[in-house]
Amino acid sequence: MTRYQLAEHPTIEVEVITAGLACCTLEVEAAATAGLLLPVSGEQISPAPSILVISGTVTDALLPAVLAQIDRFPEARLMSFGACATSGGPYWDSPPVTKGIDQFADVAVYVAGCPPRPDAFVAALLDLAHSGVAP
Amino acid sequence: MTAVMAMESVPVDTWHERVHQVKQRGFGFFDFLTAVDRNSFVEVVVHLVREDLSDSYLISTMLSNENLHIDSIETLFPGAGWHEREVGEMFGVKFEGNDMQKLLRHETLGLPPLRKNIVLSARVVTEWPGAAEPEIKQDGRKVGNPSRRRQRPPGAPESWLQQ
Amino acid sequence: MIHSFIALLPDKCTSCMLCVRECPAWCIHLDSHTEEVTDAGARRPKKINVLDSFDIDYSLCMYCGICVDVCPFDALEWDQHRALISDSRADLTLGITQLTSENDSAN
Repeated sequence: MTRYQLAEHPTIEVEVITAGLACCTLEVEAAATAGLLLPVSGEQISPAPSILVISGTVTDALLPAVLAQIDRFPEARLMSFGACATSGGPYWDSPPVTKGIDQFADVAVYVAGCPPRPDAFVAALLDLAHSGVAP
Repeated sequence: MTAVMAMESVPVDTWHERVHQVKQRGFGFFDFLTAVDRNSFVEVVVHLVREDLSDSYLISTMLSNENLHIDSIETLFPGAGWHEREVGEMFGVKFEGNDMQKLLRHETLGLPPLRKNIVLSARVVTEWPGAAEPEIKQDGRKVGNPSRRRQRPPGAPESWLQQ
Repeated sequence: MIHSFIALLPDKCTSCMLCVRECPAWCIHLDSHTEEVTDAGARRPKKINVLDSFDIDYSLCMYCGICVDVCPFDALEWDQHRALISDSRADLTLGITQLTSENDSAN
């Protein structure tokens, strides 16, 4: 678990679970390296996150685990980050890959990219913040 | 790596025995074991290397599609066990004597994916945008005189599209 | 140059379909038709392809750049416009106007 806050909007905090779905998850670290996210201390997982970021390839085998997390936080809005989470992306023809998390849960914002750039991650969070989702 | 590579194809019932003989001739380093789908049969290959890396030995055998059973060589090379489990998952070959536990794939997944008769259904169901031409619209409507040569999507052989 | 967007220069596109057919994600869609034009002084009219629609589905695109690479007329180019964010997946499919105007606004 690593915790960050947005440099541009410090009330938005990002928690990264160190079991990423795929390479898109690394964009959070890239954003931190670029100074877009600032590390903050704190080990606790937020009891009620307002946004869940699905970043990376979801396989049919892993789908129940991902959906269980989504169900745990019914208030949270979903961000589909990158081509894999949105549509299967480069794995659009692969049988074990889920072709879009939006088949199973409502997605609030889609971020295009393979992977999307770190500034796209920050911009998407700010978009949701301005629409009143995040604090 | 090695200068010389001997190659030999053996009948499947002498597979274990032959690998054992070659190992005793000094090819004691197990490099890899894999399989190739030759359509009408599956070829299993093992590559053994002499300990001083001076030369190596490639042994192969053919399995008929109806009987994908072969003796495990895990007792000769314990490291071969993982390779056999992978070939089992990817090609559906059963190695007798290996417990054949799933190595990589989820147990709910069906057919072995590296067999050539496995159809990537997404490539059949999805309409290939490349079939369009100035005379053929994306919805398949023909206008004017389209060329008679039909374009086929890459990675989707004719036999898939007929199914 | 940041490779974050693939822009279209429609005037250069000849609807040859190379990008569509090479795209590994099948995310480009193109419609065109042929027209006859007569150049001044030419004996016979010639046939040209006219682009009707050109869409890139950015929800599928893997930014591999093969389309940019294979285009014989440099009608596709990398652009540093920032990545697309939308609340609807359908909005990530961009047509000729968006693929070109995004291009203008970034430069």
